[in-house]
Amino acid sequence: MLKQNNDLQKSIAWNEIVLKVPSAWEIDSLDTTHILVGKDGIPKLEIKWTDSPKQFTLEKYLKKFIAQSQRTLNIKILELPAPESFLHPNNNFKFFFFSWENASSNGNGALIFCSCCKKLTMIRFFSTSKISFHSLKYLILFSFCDHPVGNETDWQLFGLNFSTPQNFKLLEYSFKPGCYIINFKHKKTILTIFSWGPALFLLEETSLSEFATTRVPKLQGFATTGVCSFGNYLEWSYSHGLFKNAAILPLFNRYKFYTLFRICNNTQDNRIFGIMMDAPEKQFNRDLIKRSIIGDIQEKK
Amino acid sequence: MIFKKKNNRSKYDALLCIPEKNRLVKESTIDSGDVILSYQSVYKPLFQKIQKFVRKNPDNTFKRKIQLDRLGVDVWHLINGEKNVKAIIKEFANLHSLNYKEAEISVTLFLRSLGEKGLIGIKEP
Repeated sequence: MLKQNNDLQKSIAWNEIVLKVPSAWEIDSLDTTHILVGKDGIPKLEIKWTDSPKQFTLEKYLKKFIAQSQRTLNIKILELPAPESFLHPNNNFKFFFFSWENASSNGNGALIFCSCCKKLTMIRFFSTSKISFHSLKYLILFSFCDHPVGNETDWQLFGLNFSTPQNFKLLEYSFKPGCYIINFKHKKTILTIFSWGPALFLLEETSLSEFATTRVPKLQGFATTGVCSFGNYLEWSYSHGLFKNAAILPLFNRYKFYTLFRICNNTQDNRIFGIMMDAPEKQFNRDLIKRSIIGDIQEKK
Repeated sequence: MIFKKKNNRSKYDALLCIPEKNRLVKESTIDSGDVILSYQSVYKPLFQKIQKFVRKNPDNTFKRKIQLDRLGVDVWHLINGEKNVKAIIKEFANLHSLNYKEAEISVTLFLRSLGEKGLIGIKEP
C-alpha cells in the first residue's frame, strides 16, 4: 500500500472528477470538462476530459484526442513508457503516459481511459520531473477518479464540500466572490446550491430570514425552522404554477411545481449555505435533500 | 509615445508587489465603523473649461470622499507599505474564513480600484 503523503491534503471534486493536490495549489480556472490548477498564478496541473462516442475503437479515439489536444493547446505530445511499478487501485483505468512541449514550456502527464464510464481524461503536469514511485505526480494520479463510486457525486472546491444524488447532472454554475451558485438537473427536478460569505458581514444588519428573501426573491410564504448539522435552518416550502392561479385550472394543474428551500448559517465556516429544490408534483421528494450542503437534517420528533 | 510599453508582469510577480497608501489621503472613522477616505481629485478637462468659463472655484481640484464598508476597511488597514499583495490576501482570507481564491479575487479587484483612484501606489519588491 502507498504510504500517506502529507503534501496531498486538498481534494478537488468537480463534475465527477476527483483527485488530491497539495494544499497550496488552487483552481485557477474551470469549466464543465476542464480544470486548471496552479500555485500563485503559475500553472501546475491541467485536466481535460471528454465522454467517448457510442461506437469507437480505443486506438483511433486516442489518436483523435491527442491530435485534437495538440492542435487546441498548441503542444507536441510524445509517448512515454509507463513508470516502473505504477499500479492504480481502479482496475478499469488504462494509463498512457506522455511528455509534451511547446515554445515556452514543457512537462509530462497521462491519458486515462476508464472502461467503466468510457471517459477519456488528460492530466498534464507543467514540470518535467519524472512520475516515479511515491513522487507527487504519482500520488496525484493515484488519487484520481473519474466517476462517482456510490450513489452520490461529491463536489469539493473553493471551500464547498457537498454531495448530490448521482443522477443529477451539472446544469450551470457561477462562482463570484461572496456568492456561489450551482445548478443541477435530473428530469424536471432542479437542485440549486448556494453559498454566501462571509456570514458575519452579511448578517451584520439583517436576519437570516430577511437575507434569504432578499437574495432569493421568489420565496413565498413563511419560513419554518428545523435542525441540521450546522445548527438551526430555515425552510420555505410552497407550490406554484405557470402563472398566478394556474393550479385551479385543470389543464394547467399538471404544470404545478413544488419548491423547497433551506438555508442555514454555518458559523464555523463563516458562510451561509442554501439549497433549493424545484420539482413537479410527481418527482417531488423531500428526502432528496435530506443530506446536502447544509448537512444532515434531523427528523422532528 | 506612440507605442506603449507592454506590461509583461505575471500574476506571480503582481502578487509580490507591495501596495502603499497615498499619504495625501485623509481617513476618518464614523460611528458605524466604516472608514471615509477623502482626497483631492482633478476635474476632467471638459469640466475645467466649464470652471474657467463660469469663473467659479479657480482650482482645478475638488475633494472626493469614499466610504469603505467593513471588508474594505479590513483590507485598507492591512496596507502598511510592508505587506505584499499575497500576504494581504492570506490575512484577509484568515480574518473572514474565506477560501484563498475567493479572497484573492475580492482583494485584487479592491486594490485595483483603489489604485485607479490614486489612493494607493504599488511598489515592486
